Amino acid sequence: MIMLAAVALFATSCKDYLDINTNKNKPVTVTADLILPQALVATAITLNAYNTYGAQTGGYMANAGGYGGFNEQTTYIYTPNNYSNLWPTSYDNLEDYQYMLNQTDGDANFIYYNAVARIMKSYGYQLLVDAYGNVPYSQALLAAENLTPEYDDAATIYASLASEIDKAVADINTGLTASVAPKALGSNDVVYQGNMTLWLKFANSLKLRLMIRGNGKVTFTNTAFDPAGFLSIDALINPGFARDNNRQNPEWNQWTWTYSGTAQPKAWIPTTFIATFYNNIKINDPGRAKKMYYTWPATGTNQLGFESTGIPKSPDGSFWYPGTDRGGTSAGNGTGAIKGPDAGFPLMIAAESDFLLAEAALVGIPTGAGGTAQSWFTQGITDAFTYTYSLPGGGLKKTAATDAPKVSGTPVADAAAYITANAGNPLVDWSATSNAAEQLEAIITQKYIALNMVNSQEGYNEYRRTGYPTITGTSPTDTFASIASQSTRPDRLPSRILYPTSEIQYNPVNVPQGITSTNATIFWAK
Amino acid sequence: MKKFLLLCFSFVIATTVWAQREVSGRVSSAEDGTTLPGVNVVLKGTTNGTVSDANGNYKMSIPDGNGTIVFSFIGLKSQEVEIGGRAVIDVKMELDVTQLSEVVVTTAGGLQSRQRELGSSITVLTPNSLTAGKAVNLAAGMQGKVAGFQINATSSGVNPEYRLILRGQRSLTGNNQALIILDNVIVPNAVLSNLNMNDVESVNILQGAGAAALYGSQASNGAVIITTKRGKAGTVEITLQHNVQATQVAFFPKIQKGFGSGGSAYGIDGSTRPVFNYLENQSYGPAFDNSLRPLGPKLEDGTQPYTNYNYKPGHNDFWNVGLTNQTDFSVSAGDATSSIYMSGQYVTVAGTTPGDKFTRANVRVNGWKKITDKVQISFSTSLAPNKYDISSATGSIYTNMLNMPSNVDITQFKDWSNNKFATPNGFYNPWYGNPYFTAANNRQLDKNLYITGNMEVKWTPIPGLDIIARQGISNRTFTEKATTGQYIYSLYARNTDQSSKSNIAASVSETANTYTNLVTDALAQYNKSIGQSVSLNVVAGTQLIQNTGRYMNTNISGLIVKDLYNLSNGTGNPGYSENDFQSRLVGVYGKVTGGFKDYLFVTLTGRNDSDSRLNKDNRSFFYPSAEASLVLTEAIPSLKDGNIFTFFKLRGNVSKTGQVNLGNPNFSSGFSDFGAYYTQSTFSSNTSYATANGFPYGSLAGYSADARIVNPNLKPEFTHQWEIGADMNFWNDNITTSLTWYHSRTDNQTIATSISNSTGFSNFLTNVGETSSQGLEFTGHITPVRTQNFQFTVGGNYTYLKNTVVSISDQLPLVGLASSGNAVSAAVAGQAFPVIMGLDYQRDDQGHVIVDRTTGLPSSTSSNVILGNGTPKHRVGADAAVQYKNFKFSILFEYRGGYSVYNGVGTEMDWSGTGYRTAQYGRQSFIFPNSVYKADDGSYVQNTSVSIANGNGNNGYWSDGINRNTSSNYVTSGNFIKLREISLGYDIPPIFGKAIKGANISVQGRNLFLWMAKDNYYTDPEYSTAGSTGNGTGLNDIGQTPPTRYYGATLSIKL
Repeated sequence: MIMLAAVALFATSCKDYLDINTNKNKPVTVTADLILPQALVATAITLNAYNTYGAQTGGYMANAGGYGGFNEQTTYIYTPNNYSNLWPTSYDNLEDYQYMLNQTDGDANFIYYNAVARIMKSYGYQLLVDAYGNVPYSQALLAAENLTPEYDDAATIYASLASEIDKAVADINTGLTASVAPKALGSNDVVYQGNMTLWLKFANSLKLRLMIRGNGKVTFTNTAFDPAGFLSIDALINPGFARDNNRQNPEWNQWTWTYSGTAQPKAWIPTTFIATFYNNIKINDPGRAKKMYYTWPATGTNQLGFESTGIPKSPDGSFWYPGTDRGGTSAGNGTGAIKGPDAGFPLMIAAESDFLLAEAALVGIPTGAGGTAQSWFTQGITDAFTYTYSLPGGGLKKTAATDAPKVSGTPVADAAAYITANAGNPLVDWSATSNAAEQLEAIITQKYIALNMVNSQEGYNEYRRTGYPTITGTSPTDTFASIASQSTRPDRLPSRILYPTSEIQYNPVNVPQGITSTNATIFWAK
Repeated sequence: MKKFLLLCFSFVIATTVWAQREVSGRVSSAEDGTTLPGVNVVLKGTTNGTVSDANGNYKMSIPDGNGTIVFSFIGLKSQEVEIGGRAVIDVKMELDVTQLSEVVVTTAGGLQSRQRELGSSITVLTPNSLTAGKAVNLAAGMQGKVAGFQINATSSGVNPEYRLILRGQRSLTGNNQALIILDNVIVPNAVLSNLNMNDVESVNILQGAGAAALYGSQASNGAVIITTKRGKAGTVEITLQHNVQATQVAFFPKIQKGFGSGGSAYGIDGSTRPVFNYLENQSYGPAFDNSLRPLGPKLEDGTQPYTNYNYKPGHNDFWNVGLTNQTDFSVSAGDATSSIYMSGQYVTVAGTTPGDKFTRANVRVNGWKKITDKVQISFSTSLAPNKYDISSATGSIYTNMLNMPSNVDITQFKDWSNNKFATPNGFYNPWYGNPYFTAANNRQLDKNLYITGNMEVKWTPIPGLDIIARQGISNRTFTEKATTGQYIYSLYARNTDQSSKSNIAASVSETANTYTNLVTDALAQYNKSIGQSVSLNVVAGTQLIQNTGRYMNTNISGLIVKDLYNLSNGTGNPGYSENDFQSRLVGVYGKVTGGFKDYLFVTLTGRNDSDSRLNKDNRSFFYPSAEASLVLTEAIPSLKDGNIFTFFKLRGNVSKTGQVNLGNPNFSSGFSDFGAYYTQSTFSSNTSYATANGFPYGSLAGYSADARIVNPNLKPEFTHQWEIGADMNFWNDNITTSLTWYHSRTDNQTIATSISNSTGFSNFLTNVGETSSQGLEFTGHITPVRTQNFQFTVGGNYTYLKNTVVSISDQLPLVGLASSGNAVSAAVAGQAFPVIMGLDYQRDDQGHVIVDRTTGLPSSTSSNVILGNGTPKHRVGADAAVQYKNFKFSILFEYRGGYSVYNGVGTEMDWSGTGYRTAQYGRQSFIFPNSVYKADDGSYVQNTSVSIANGNGNNGYWSDGINRNTSSNYVTSGNFIKLREISLGYDIPPIFGKAIKGANISVQGRNLFLWMAKDNYYTDPEYSTAGSTGNGTGLNDIGQTPPTRYYGATLSIKL
C-alpha cells in the first residue's frame, strides 16, 4: 500500500509525464511564404495531368503500337475512373492556396502572397469548371466546417473568379503604392521571381480567358482590365527542375525518361490529325514540326482507337522530344513542347494571351491593349514560334540554313516565312479570310497548334467552345475522334468526363446525377 | 519505474523472518508426483492458513502444536490431516473428478482466479490442443477452437499474417484486434508468429471487454493471455522434437481452358474468330486447335519459339511445394526454491512462391527463485530473430502469370538467366514480364529481432497479502533491404514488336525501425476469509505504459555499379524519411471480489487511465465493471441428485471500457505510430497529395498541407457490454457445455474517414458513430466412452455474430475502410459492419439487368450500392478426438457462413482473358442473361433477342469497363468449410531402461481441404486486402497468392 501511495504521488507530481504529444515529425503550422513555392510546383504537376487529359481527348495524341486495352479512352463511354485524378489533385492544390488566403487575409505585409494565392485559386478553379462544369466552390475548401460541399453553378463560379482576380489586382496595386513595401515574393515565386507587374499582366490574361470563354453566358460585374497590359512573356513554373529524383519537369518525367534513364511507357504517339497542320495536308510547317517532333517527317502517327498491328511504335523517350541524343541519362536540351528535365512548366504561354486578344478584338470585347485582331493573330503566331524554339536553359535554338529551305533562322523570321509560305491559306493568312467565322477559325486553329502538348486541355476546351479546328467524317486526317467511338454526338466525341468515384462515395447527396460522357456539356460549349 | 523497484527491494531487505512454532511440508499430486503450488492450507476451525508455494512447499505456525490441517485445491479432493505433534507433514492429493470443470485461470494482472468465481466468459486452450496441427504460428493453432474468436489468415506467404477479433468489430477505423499478453507483457500481434509454440503452457482467452477491464484500455477488444512454461520442481526434463511439413497450393482460381493469345482488336478472321497474336497477353484469341504456332516474335538471332496451341497446366505448376522444418529443444529443472526452463527452436520455411525463404530462431529462459520465505523473484525472457528473403513483387508475379495465356507453359521460362526465350530480352510478352524474373529481380531481405522480457518481485508480508512489482519490456527491431536489379534491354528488344520493353533501373531501399513497449505494474492483492462463509479478495494497482517508436527509410535509384546494392552507389537525390513517436499511459485500478459460501461471487472493478495522446481536458477517463457468478450445484446440492448435473454455474457481467483508438497499428509493414500526435493537422515538405515534388530545391524550401484534418477535441471511445451465460456439465462431466449471450455497444468512435476532396482534404479524424455487436457463443463436448484404453470425445463451438453500424453522423453517410479495385469495404449506418459496396448493373424492380435496346449492353449504377455483408454471421468449429491405447487422433473442421466476399483477382482474370467467366458463352455474341430492355411505352420487356455484339475481349465486352468495373460481378458467397487440422500420434513407451522417458511420433495436416460456395472459384475468403490490422474486411486482391495446405510429420523425444 505504501508503494501504491508512492506511485500515486509520482503520478501526480509528474504531470509533465503525459505532456509529450508534441509532433516530432511534421510542423502543424507554417507561414504563407513556405507554402507558395510548393503550391506553384503542385500546380505544375496538376497541369501536367490536365495536359494528358486534354491531349488524349482533344486530338493531340493517340494510342501507339504495342499497347492495347484502351477501352473507354477510345469508346468515349467514360466511367468515373477516367481521368479521375484531375479532381483530387486540383482540390488539394487549391487547398494550399486557400490556406495562404486564410493565413494572410488582411495582413498588409503578406498582401502579395495573398494576391498571388487568389489569382492561382481562380486559375485552378477555371481548370476544374472547364473539365467538370458545376463544382463545389462557395462551400468548398472549408475543411471540417462542411464535409459535403454543395455544387455551384459553373457560370456563377466564372463570374466570381473574375471578381477574385479583380481583388487580387487591386491588392497588388495597393502593395506597389504602399509606403512600407510588403514582404516580397522573391525566390518563393517560382514563376516571376517576385515581379508583381508580370503578375498583373498574367491576371489580366487570365481574366480575359474567363471573359472570352464565358462571353454571352456569364455576367461579369467588372469588364475592365488593369493598365499593366497582358502577358507578353511565357509564364513558366520552374523551381529548379533538374534531372534528379522527383525533380524533373513533370511532363518530361511522364513521357520520356525517369531521371535514372528508364524509358517511360510508350503507349502514346501523336495523332495523324495534328500532323496535318505541319505536313502540308492542311498547313505546311516543316520547320516547327522538326522542332516539335522526333524524326519528322518520319514521326509515327495514329488515329485514336486503331489498335491493330502495324501501328507505329513509340521510340524510347517519345516522339515529342525532338532531340537526337536518346540515351535517357544524357538527353535533354530540346525545343518544342517537351524540352528537357529542367524546362519550366507553362502556366500560360504568351501566344495564348495573344490569340485571346485577337478574339477579343474580333468580337468586340474592349481590353485596352490596342492592336487589331489581325495584329494580335500575327503576334500569336510569332510568340508560338518563340515558345517552340526556346530552350529549357533559356535562349533560342535557331534553325540552321541547311535544315529546311523555307525557314531563315530566328522564330520571328521563321514565323513570317511560315505565313508567306502558306499564303492564301485562310488558317494562316489573315488576308485570305473572308468573314468573321473564318477569322475565328484561323485564331482558334493557330491557338490549337500553339497549345499542342503545351497546355493541351486549353486546346480541347477551345475546340468544345468553338468547334475549331474543324473536324469532319471519320478519316484520320479529317477528325481526331476515335475510330472506336461509341459517342452518339455529331462529332463522335465525348462532351465531358464524369465526376470521380470519390465524389459519388463521399458527397453523394450533392454530386450531380445522370451525367454521361455524351449527354451533358460544359456551359460554354457549342 | 526504477523508483518502484528500488522501493520494493528496500521492503524486501527490511523484512525479517519471524521465529515461530511451525509445521511445514510439501503437497504433491497423487497422480504423477508433481508438486502442487497454490494449495490452500488451513488450520481447521480457524482463519489461520497459508498457500503452498510454487514448489508445493508450505509452512505455517500452529499456536499450540495441535489440531487438524485442511488441504484444499479446486479440482482436487480436500484432505484433512491430524497434526499429532509432527513438524513435517507431506500430503499427496487426488483428483476430484466431480470438479474437473473448475480450473484455475490466469486473469488480469497475472492473478490467478478460480473459474467458478468469474462472471465472464473465458476459454482455456491447452498445449495439446494448440500444437496438434504443428502450426508455426500460434494464431493458426487457435483457429476454429474458440467460440467468439475469429482468426483470419489475411495473407499468404512464408509467414502469413493473422487477424484476431473477439466478438466482432467495435471500432470503425481504430484497432479491433484482441490484446496479446505474453507472460504479463503487452506484446504486438506479430509476436504470435514469432513465438515457439512448444513454450506455451496455456492460452486463456478473455472474450469480453469486462473480463479484461483491469488490463487497461487496450483490452477493450478482449485479451489473449499466453503463459509460457516454468520448470517443475524435483524433475529434470529434456525434450527434443523435429517436425517436417510440406506446403502446397490447395486452390487455384478457375481459369478457362479453351482460348489463347489474341483478340478481336487484332481483327476478326473470316466471320467470328478473333485473330491469334503471338505476343498478346490477353487470352481473347481463337479457340485452341492444337496447331503449331509461334510464341513471341523472332529473336535477334532469328530464332522463334513455337508451341502447340492448346491448354497447358503451367499456371498451377508455377508454385513450388514449400518445405517447413521445425527443430526444438527444451530443458527444465527445479527444486524447492527455484526452477528454470530453457528452450530453443529453429524454423526454416521455403515458400510456394519460387525463391521465398523464411527462417526463425527462438531462445527462451524462464525461472523463479524464492529468496526468502516471503519474497519470490521470477523472470521470463525470450529472444526471437527472424529473417525473410522473399520477392517484393508478389502481386506483379501473380498478375504476370494471369496474363500468360494457357497455351503458354509457364514452367518453360524458369531459367530466365540462361534460356534465351526466358530472358527479359527474349521473353515473348513485352507488357507482362516473365514471373520467374520478376520474382528474382525484386527482392526484400527483412530481419526482425523480437525481445520480450518480464521480471517480477512478489512479497508476501503477511498471509493473504501479496505485493507485486513487475517490469515488462517488448522490443522489436526491424530492418529491411529492398532491392530491384538493373536490366538493360538490347536495342533490338526495345525497338521491335516488343517496343514497350524499357530498361529497369536498379534501386535499393533501406529501412530501420525499432519500437519499444515498457509496462510497469505495481499491485497489491489481499485475501481474507470472514467467518466460515464469506471471502474477500481486494486488488489495487497502478500501471505505467510507454510506447516509443523510431522509423527510418532511405532509398535511392539509378545504381551505378551493377549488383552493388548500397545507398552510396546511387545517382540523384535519395528519398528519405524519419518518424519518431512516443505515447504514455498512466492507469490506476482496483478490484473487489466478495464470495459467499463458495457459490456466489460478486466482483466490482474500476480503472482510470490518463493518456498522453489526447488533449489535457480529455485525457483522463474512468471505466467500471461488475460481474457475478452463482454455482447452482453448490447452492442447491439437490441438483446433483439423480447424477445428471455435475456442475451448473450462472454468470453475468456488465462493463464499460474506455479506449483511445486513434490509429490502426500496421505492424506488418514494421510501422506503428501508436496514434501519437493525431490531434493536429500537419504539413509536409517533400510530398504533395502523395506526389513527391522534389522539395527542397536547393535552398528553396516548400511545405504543403497534408490531406488529413483533425478534430482537436478527440475523446476516448467507450464500449458498453453486458453478457450472461451458463456453464453446465452433465453425467460425470462426460458432457460439458458453455453458453454465453452478449451485447456490446461502442460509441464516441474515433474515425479516420475519407471525405470529399472538395473540402480541400481527403481524410478526417473525428469522434462520431456507434457500432454494436451481439452474439451467441456455445461450446459443447461429449465423451460417450471414457475407459483406461479408449476415450472418444466429439463436440465443437458455435458462434453467432450480429455486428452492426448503428450510426455514423449526419454529414458522413459512410466511412470507407478499404478498397480493392472498384469495390469498397465500408461502414454504413444501419448496415452490417462492414458491407461490401460497389457498382452493380442497372436493374428493374424485379432485379433483371436492364440492357440497351440496340446494343444489348447493360449499364452500371451511377453510384455504389451495397453488394453484401463482409463478416461471417455463423461460425462453427467441429472437433473430435480419439485415444486408443497409445494412439491419439484428432480432427477439426471450421465452417463460416452468412457473408460475402469481393474477389479482386477476378477483374485481373477477366482483363487477361484467363477468367472462367469470360468463356461461358464461348466468346460469342450473347444475350445478357436474365435481362430486360425498355420498350417504347416505358415498360421493361424481357430480352430474348438483343445480344451483345462483341462477346469477346481485348476490345469486347469481357475486358471492357462495363464488365470489370461492375463490382457485383466478383462478389460471391464467402461461405466455406475447411479441414483445419488433422493429426494422428503414437506415444512410444520408455525405452533403454528409462534413459528415454518417452517419445511420440505423429503425422498432421492443416487446411488440407477447402470447400467453398459454388460461385466462388477465386480464392480463400479468409484473405483480406485490409491486411491483419484493417477493419475493411470482405475484399481480397491479387497481392495474395493462392491458398495453401500443410502436411507433415513430427518426432519428439523426452529424456
